[in-house]
Amino acid sequence: MISELKEKLLKLLDEITNSISEAKNINDVEEIRVNCLGKKGTITSYLKNLRQYNEVSKREIGALVNEIKNKINHLIIDKKSFFKTQILNEKLLTEKIDITLTPHENETGTLHPLSRTIDELCAIFADMGFSIVDGPDIETDYYNFTALNIPYEHPARQEHDTFYFQPDQDGNRKVLRTHTSPVQIRTMEKLNLENFEEIRYIIPGRTYRSDHDATHSPMFHQCEGLVLGKNINMGHLKGCLIDFCRTFFNKEDLPVRFRPSYFPFTEPSAEVDIGCKKDIDGSLSIGSGEDWLEILGSGMVHPRVLEGVGIDPSIYQGFAFGMGLERLTMLKYGIPDLRPFYDSDLRWLKHYGFIPVDNPSLHSGLNGVFS
Amino acid sequence: MKFTWHWLLDHLQTDKNLNEIVDALPKLGLEVASVVNLAEELKEFISVKVLEVKKHPNADTLNLCKVSDGNNTFNVVCGALNVKAGMIGVFANVDTYVPGINLILKKAKIRGETSEGMLCSEKELTLSDNHEGIIELPRDSKIGLPVRDVMDLTDPVIEIEITPNRGDCLGVRGIARDLAAAGMGVLKDLEIIEIEGDFESLIDWKIDLSEDKKNLCPKIFGRSFQNLVNVDSPSWLKKRLLAVDQRPISSLVDITNYIMIDIGRPLHAYDAEKIVGNTLTIKEAKQGEKFFALNGNEYELDQGMLVISDSQGIDDLAGIMGGERTGVTNNTTKMFLEAAIFDPISIANTGRKLNINSDARYRFERGLDYDSPGLVMHYAASMVNRICGGTNSKIVKFESIKESKPIIFNPDNTYKLTGVEIENQVAKSILEKLGFLITINRDIWSIIPPSWRPDIDGVSDIVEEIIRINGYDYIPSIKLPRKNYIAKPAMTIKHRQTSIASKILANRGYSEVITFSFLNELMAKQFNGGFKELVLVNPISSELSHMRPSVIPTLLVAAKRNLNVGVDTLSFFEVGPIFKGDKPDDQISTISGLRLGSKVKRDWKNSSKDFDFYDVKLDVLKTLEAIGANINSLQTYENTSGYFHPGRSAVLKIGQKLIANVGEIHPEISDFYGFEKSILAFEIFYENIPMPRKVKVSRPMLKISPLQSVTREFAFVIDETTPAEKLVQIAKSTNKDLIREVLIFDVYKGKNIPNGKKSIAIKIIIQPNLETLTDDDLEKISSDLINVIDTKLSGSLRSQ
Repeated sequence: MISELKEKLLKLLDEITNSISEAKNINDVEEIRVNCLGKKGTITSYLKNLRQYNEVSKREIGALVNEIKNKINHLIIDKKSFFKTQILNEKLLTEKIDITLTPHENETGTLHPLSRTIDELCAIFADMGFSIVDGPDIETDYYNFTALNIPYEHPARQEHDTFYFQPDQDGNRKVLRTHTSPVQIRTMEKLNLENFEEIRYIIPGRTYRSDHDATHSPMFHQCEGLVLGKNINMGHLKGCLIDFCRTFFNKEDLPVRFRPSYFPFTEPSAEVDIGCKKDIDGSLSIGSGEDWLEILGSGMVHPRVLEGVGIDPSIYQGFAFGMGLERLTMLKYGIPDLRPFYDSDLRWLKHYGFIPVDNPSLHSGLNGVFS
Repeated sequence: MKFTWHWLLDHLQTDKNLNEIVDALPKLGLEVASVVNLAEELKEFISVKVLEVKKHPNADTLNLCKVSDGNNTFNVVCGALNVKAGMIGVFANVDTYVPGINLILKKAKIRGETSEGMLCSEKELTLSDNHEGIIELPRDSKIGLPVRDVMDLTDPVIEIEITPNRGDCLGVRGIARDLAAAGMGVLKDLEIIEIEGDFESLIDWKIDLSEDKKNLCPKIFGRSFQNLVNVDSPSWLKKRLLAVDQRPISSLVDITNYIMIDIGRPLHAYDAEKIVGNTLTIKEAKQGEKFFALNGNEYELDQGMLVISDSQGIDDLAGIMGGERTGVTNNTTKMFLEAAIFDPISIANTGRKLNINSDARYRFERGLDYDSPGLVMHYAASMVNRICGGTNSKIVKFESIKESKPIIFNPDNTYKLTGVEIENQVAKSILEKLGFLITINRDIWSIIPPSWRPDIDGVSDIVEEIIRINGYDYIPSIKLPRKNYIAKPAMTIKHRQTSIASKILANRGYSEVITFSFLNELMAKQFNGGFKELVLVNPISSELSHMRPSVIPTLLVAAKRNLNVGVDTLSFFEVGPIFKGDKPDDQISTISGLRLGSKVKRDWKNSSKDFDFYDVKLDVLKTLEAIGANINSLQTYENTSGYFHPGRSAVLKIGQKLIANVGEIHPEISDFYGFEKSILAFEIFYENIPMPRKVKVSRPMLKISPLQSVTREFAFVIDETTPAEKLVQIAKSTNKDLIREVLIFDVYKGKNIPNGKKSIAIKIIIQPNLETLTDDDLEKISSDLINVIDTKLSGSLRSQ
């Protein structure tokens, strides 16, 4: 009789399992649950009827009924969650949006390529212990020329194409600085000569010459450098500028050539060329090839310049250098023309500009790769 | 400075080739601008005979020609008028690069007829600008040969750029001397035959200079020539002059030009018969004196300009240009030749004032060989006699002895200044090859520079000569020693401020621009500038004549340019200087910006919204906050600068310091610049932001309340003229401990609000610190607030 009952129970389990798997929706499942496990449900009734059996049978049948109840319970929960997921998925499908649409928004602004170059320069020279100083754009004749060993009659003056202001009552006329070099003088004048060991400065800024054509702008930018100390010689100039060129152009083996030249405020003077290759189509690749490209001027600070600011050239010596920032920018970032630098054309600014959060630094890299 | 290869070889004995020399020049500081080697460039062009010329069947102006190089015959279509059968011309085959028209020739059909090459003009060969017809070679020229051999184009022309200190290299000989010193050959001796002269000079010198002006002409030599025949120069001479861009004129003039290029020594030749009297006087010009120069112009001279006169008037503007009246002509048979040393400063001043550029001035300004006047009298005489015949007079001269003070040099200076280790013997040999005289006493060298190097006047000059000839490649490369063991910022606080502001503004949508520091007068005045001391005397154009008093006008111009190419929305900022005067302190660095167009663009999601005052005010506040200004201490005033809309602009100050201008540009001004919509702009005077003396890096301790904050909302009706900000300040002040924030969420005027009043709705965020607030506590905060607004602003709660 017990074995008959067991058989019946197992058959019932089969039937219920089938009906659960055939249920069409969550309501069918609920109905099955009520029919089986509800107060008057088939399984429940078996449990209620256990009383009629002896202890041994009761335990045996009770265990079986409970096992069947648990199985059915699990099946129902699984089936219900299956239908719930199905319902949610159907609902989500109705909520579908067109993911190809994009809202319009004003563009993020860009930083000017020249600012980028100045930032890169600052990062490189900061690593070599330099700090930034600046000076006025409107200069006296003294700072722009005389103090730099360029007296009034000097032929070098004519090469400067200077912008002049009206002379004052005493006949002195101010000029727009033709280079950043006057800041060298202003900086050295402020030194406390009692105790200084060494200075390393860079001076980026606006400069002006009365020249306006495809390759000249009446306003342009230079960066000056000045290193002055007791043990600085031309070897340091060479080391410092080679390091600069290679870091700036991101080429460890960039050929750098030093050539004798002349600037009234340095002696000896050197012009610095970097190796490049000029293709027939006019394009230029930096670093390889037979050609040379002049990128900056430099030299040991002229003793007369030092004497002029009260520094004893037999104790202190140093070097200075100057470079055109537009040219460096054009070379590095492949910008073909000078004049658009000041035209503020939004298309140019967006194309050649830099995103503001890509900060050049030695640890994150100096080359603007995201723009 | 141009010279030819063979001219250089006149002075330099060398086994080096052209390329080696061209490579060596820049290493000496003589920058090579160009090398034109026609022999190389034109090697593929050959001489051909034109066999027949027929009319082109389809083109009136063209001919069909058959040309022969002796072996092959080519068909050529030619448009030149001078083409004729039998002539010998210059032929370029297909695949030849033709430099004058920058083209590689291809076999082509021209109006249906095949052309297998080209008969060339002088222009196509870059020999001249002549494009009138094709080159016609002499009838006896051989055919099938490279034209360089036929036309004698074998002398390459080298152009170098001479720095202002190297006047000695404005002559071929100086260049040869540098090359020789650098081991590129041996400097040949200059062949000078001393010619004493057969007769007394027809002309003599008189120095009419006061004692303190004697330095203007420390030396002047002259000699006369007679029985000359001033013929055309021989072709070798003409060819050399042409190669270096000197126009052959007559042999006497050509000789002076030749010597100037050859040894860098300018000369002046007078027609001795045209000189009135027999004296030439060196003196200072009188104010307003007239001078007719060789270039055909008349000049009015200033007092003190150095001139040379005969008894009739001025014959020569010393060192710059000779006079028309006494210049040599083709008929000259008697010549007086002048070679002098003039004060370079005086020459430079006169030349600049009169705006005369001449080869002579160029050389005098850069300083001449002090010994050259004597030497050139003989050098020129032999050349004149060789070409024009005649006889020479004795030399007449005036000279003051130049004291040459030796430079005291310690050979260790080279190492100390440059790090170059060089043996004393090598250094000495370099200097001697350059012409320096060295006397060594113990370890100290006493050095006298050569007469042709007036630029050398100190120890560092000597060092430069040694390392220059030794080679800059031998300067060691030494890393700058790391002087601090901790990293040090390169930027000052000002640079950090602009760097941060730039990033903030760019992130808010502004693109950085750089505009010129100058603008036109009208714009300067519109923006409260136009001061006399900020006007350029020599501007590029009247559009760029005044230093800008504000960056806004140059931004407006930049914006307008973009509008003209179809842009409708833009935001620009610039970090740059403005000028209030010409003293260093009058230059103020600003961060300025401008916005125009839509803040929100119309799309499928939003309707468009234009920028307004409040957007730009927020940009300014966010920027100021980021660069260290205390926003709470900012005071807002009405803007009276004149270039802003009087009702829609503000001045932000901290104490008395002007921190920023912000607002809508005055409609009259935006109209003037051609804008139809309103322009919003700002300028931040960041240098005025008060900065703490010492920057405190550590922050005060943060106390965070664990208790929930409570919000209450109120709407007050107050006077229309009361600034909203005042309501906020008063509301905050009612309970500083508990009221954390007061936000305005609505401003309303109109229906249900009495005339002259406005309603301002605020949300108050109350943050309990120690314990949760009871209803009574909150009720008290509210009633306090309502009372204070009532007493201080006569404001009342808006009825529902």
